[in-house]
Amino acid sequence: MHNESDPEHEVARALAALPADDARPYDWPEFQRRRAHAARGRRAAGAGVFAAAAVCAVAAVAVLVRLDHHAEVRAVTAAARGTAERPPPREAAAAAGAAAAERWLASLPREPAVVRVGTRADVLGLEDRIAQVDDLLTADDAGRGQGAAVLVLQRERARLVSSLVQVRYAETLANESR
Amino acid sequence: MPEAVLARARAGDAGAQELIYTAVAPATLTLIRRFVGGGAICEDLFQDTMVTLYERLAQFRGEAPLGAWLRQIAISKCLMYLRSPWRRARLCLAALDHDSSAAAIPLATAPGCAEAIDVERALAHLAPTARAVVWLYEVEGYSHEEIARSFGRSVSFSKSQLARAHVRLRAWFAPPGTESHAQRIRP
Repeated sequence: MHNESDPEHEVARALAALPADDARPYDWPEFQRRRAHAARGRRAAGAGVFAAAAVCAVAAVAVLVRLDHHAEVRAVTAAARGTAERPPPREAAAAAGAAAAERWLASLPREPAVVRVGTRADVLGLEDRIAQVDDLLTADDAGRGQGAAVLVLQRERARLVSSLVQVRYAETLANESR
Repeated sequence: MPEAVLARARAGDAGAQELIYTAVAPATLTLIRRFVGGGAICEDLFQDTMVTLYERLAQFRGEAPLGAWLRQIAISKCLMYLRSPWRRARLCLAALDHDSSAAAIPLATAPGCAEAIDVERALAHLAPTARAVVWLYEVEGYSHEEIARSFGRSVSFSKSQLARAHVRLRAWFAPPGTESHAQRIRP
């Protein structure tokens, strides 16, 4: 092989003349010991990686569930607040908001693990008043059909449901933060 | 290496594997040492190469001598190491302490082999990449194109590395008092 920087092949000859096996490697038992040690290390590293991946997966699922839950709660709260704070364009919208809020309420446990007395009383009071409004609405529907009184009752019911949603939402957040 | 020994080694016979180790380990370690220098990384690459040998022994078809096959595995491991970002990051530190790192590389120890020791010393003073290039070109018979592919660089890179390595190595071989010899002590 011709090379301008080594025209006499001086380097090539010197390198080729080097002994090919003058190094002294460690012996076979030492090689086997290192191989076994490396294999144990790989297994431990594999287990560590698996454990870390599992922890990450669980954490990711927990975060996703929490985000999803909060988004749902915010949507329901917003729907309920919207029906309570401004007059609904149509009764159907109010009824849909109230229905969504009630579905969310139904998905919550009936009795939270720890409930402050004041909060619990608020919930019970709101539920009683909603029941009373429901009774009046039922009686009104059965007696006189649709009218101004029905609209007032429905707005009052939406406001009560909105208040109940906010109280239960506050309860939920308090439970999750414990 | 007799085929019977290889067959036993493939089947997991520790005695046969030891026979192979005894036969090929010195040449393998010598090759790796000339590529990357001595020290812990040399032993790591040697261990990795030998482990790969036993893992892939079933794939060895005997079309070439076992030593040549193992040599390709060792060269591949060395090139992977030389290309690794981790090693490149260490180059800055190595450059700051170049002389001491070169002196730490073990030299040939064959009795009565003063010339070989001098060549080993000259090789040890080359940068690892230049040492690999000159070795691949002069001893392993790689072309500049093959070296460029191995390092993921251009052909010009291979040629310039080889030219600079030649200048430094020839300086080691030059008689004392000549201009070439004086270059040995220049950075």
